[in-house]
Amino acid sequence: MSAPVYPSGTVRSLLATDLVTDATRAALQARLDAPVHEPEFFEPQTYALLQAVAARLIPQPDRTEPIDVAAGIDKRLVDGKADGWRYDAMPPDREAYRLGLGGINQAALSLFQQPFLKLPEVQQDAVLEAVAAGTAPGDNWQQLPIGRFFEEMLAELTENYYSHPLAQEEIGYVGMADVPGWTHIQPNDLEPREPERLTD
Amino acid sequence: MPDEEVLEEGVLNPIKTEIQDPLLQAILEENGEFLTAPTELEQPAPLPDPVDEVDCVVIGTGAGGAPLLARLAMAGLKVVALEAGPRRNPITDYATDEKAQAFLFWNDERLSAGQNPVAFGNNNSGTGVGGSTLHYTAYTPRAQDDDLHLHRDFGVGVDWPFGIEELEPYYDELEQFLGVSGPTPYLWGAPRRRGYPLAPLPLNGAALLMQQACAQLGIQTSPAANAALSARYYQEGVGWREACTNRGFCQAGCNVGAKASMDVTFLPLAEAHGAEIRADAFVTEIERDEKGRVTGVVYEQYGVTVRQRCRHLFLCAGAVETPRLLLLNELALTSGQVGKHFMAHPGMQVWGTFAEDIRPYKGIPGGLISEDTHRPKDADFAGGYLLQSIGVMPVTFASQMARGRKLWGQQLRDYMRNYNHIAGINILGDCLPHADNFLELSDEKDARGLPKPRLHFTAQENELRMNAHSEKLMREIWTAAGATDLWAFERYAHVIGTARMGLSGDDAVVNPDGRAFDVPNLYICDNSVFPSALSVNPALTIMALSLRTADKFLASYNA
Repeated sequence: MSAPVYPSGTVRSLLATDLVTDATRAALQARLDAPVHEPEFFEPQTYALLQAVAARLIPQPDRTEPIDVAAGIDKRLVDGKADGWRYDAMPPDREAYRLGLGGINQAALSLFQQPFLKLPEVQQDAVLEAVAAGTAPGDNWQQLPIGRFFEEMLAELTENYYSHPLAQEEIGYVGMADVPGWTHIQPNDLEPREPERLTD
Repeated sequence: MPDEEVLEEGVLNPIKTEIQDPLLQAILEENGEFLTAPTELEQPAPLPDPVDEVDCVVIGTGAGGAPLLARLAMAGLKVVALEAGPRRNPITDYATDEKAQAFLFWNDERLSAGQNPVAFGNNNSGTGVGGSTLHYTAYTPRAQDDDLHLHRDFGVGVDWPFGIEELEPYYDELEQFLGVSGPTPYLWGAPRRRGYPLAPLPLNGAALLMQQACAQLGIQTSPAANAALSARYYQEGVGWREACTNRGFCQAGCNVGAKASMDVTFLPLAEAHGAEIRADAFVTEIERDEKGRVTGVVYEQYGVTVRQRCRHLFLCAGAVETPRLLLLNELALTSGQVGKHFMAHPGMQVWGTFAEDIRPYKGIPGGLISEDTHRPKDADFAGGYLLQSIGVMPVTFASQMARGRKLWGQQLRDYMRNYNHIAGINILGDCLPHADNFLELSDEKDARGLPKPRLHFTAQENELRMNAHSEKLMREIWTAAGATDLWAFERYAHVIGTARMGLSGDDAVVNPDGRAFDVPNLYICDNSVFPSALSVNPALTIMALSLRTADKFLASYNA
């Protein structure tokens, strides 16, 4: 069974209806309307590196305007926000991202003699595979647990992606349209506002 | 809580703060902030003379603090509750959006150490008027008597200082008061004096799939008990609460008041009887007289330091903040047990992809239960676990899938397009206390200048054997249900222990009534006093202990 494909526009249509509460609409609409983010925490070059890494971890070749998954990290770090816990083995988040992104560049230089940003996608993926596997070269990994860094970064980018209404359209999620409540909750039993997958 | 943000905005903070983050240090030094002498604003103002003494201060408004707050207020005592988090209106303020609901969680950073570092924040730690009940799933099974006697039955762990007969009347009272929806009769455990007040909530996709598969395998199941209303219900002191809309968002906050969180049950009842609840009030100090009795507390609220004098203190801040406050104040430490024996429930999950269209965001998440594994016949471990079906919100699922499965790139996006066809089951298992698992104060400071807590957790042999047993069983169930692409996620939920209850001050922090051995007018009531973790979700038992602690206190108060 291949993964379902859902029609586009579902969440955006629902946001215009009274099936969504004001608080919910405000949260989702703000993401749709977000202006282009200028980095505040990262230096422009480091931010470009983060964006390039994000583009391989959450590739979006299908979108002319990719969902900006790096912006949320920059904003969180400049605000000094945390999510309630940190691996004790990890340095504070700002330091972790600085060291980790630097480590990715070190790995790129060591493996392919070019900074990450200059590499073709295939080699960028090879660098990230080495980071994911914990085998990437680079001095920074002496100060940063490589596996934990990869896990934390991947989880944060993933959360940023699937929080976006367009990504929620992609997976057929319309749980935000909850003003009426749900009565059809058994398998294969859909409400009129739940999109059906497109046939192949 | 944005640690450094507070500092950067220059909000006054009377405690000289050490900034750990080297980058922030550099930024602040470049900007020249905090290098000058403290301004007038930054100097702690002298506290007002204590004129207003109340009978009881309660720290924390979750499952441990709220029920006893109502009980004490109803007994006519003058009571004040101090809640670190904000007060919100769920109907207007709660979004059906996981990221927007981040305010519901205790986001001050905790350091997670050990071989199985425990996730906090949205995994198990709430904040706000209502505490962690704002984000619990409303799953409210009762503990069974043998849960309290692991040492008696297996020779490991420790026993509770009393049997289930001490909790049963409160379970009964709570189920009626909260409006728990559940099956009557209940399949497991001792017979009950009466059934649940409301019929079970309807079963969603994951629950129905689990029900069918377990029937094939000869495992008994039942709709679970959930403290979410399957029908409109009259709440004493509150009025009518509306029925659950099957929104599936319990863990990120109920916006209709159907879930029995404390903010729509015990707290309004307490306020109706004269209790005062102060939100955004973060307690830092517990003051004592020369005899060691508590005389009051000091808290920070909106940048102001406030003292509240009290005759009795109830510490109900949860199994992290309770021991943290005790350690910071060097209070009730003679047993050496404060912070010790931190426990977390094994919460192994198994996920699978189904041909059926599930839409896992609909329906009460924990719809179906089995307690056939309460004491499995083929177990090679002490204690046992319960099985439950689980629904899941998309961002939570994506995040833990990324952590657990490490999919990235196109694989990640392809897998996530199966979200509507995903269903899960998980366990809630007992956890034995172990000396290697504990809370301590770290050297790293938060924005208040207080040491961050560090929690060490390493699953021991008993937990690992339970995980293996349950993973094998859940894979069998999900295979029988027709799932493909199975994967297991090892996780640990709930924070338990760290201020254990016991018979002697030599090895326990509080006595069986919840009173601190060292401090006669200090009571502790939350999951920190649990001597063992139990094989069920803790919320109902915390509330039962809370009512019991209030009754024990009132009995001695009136004597």
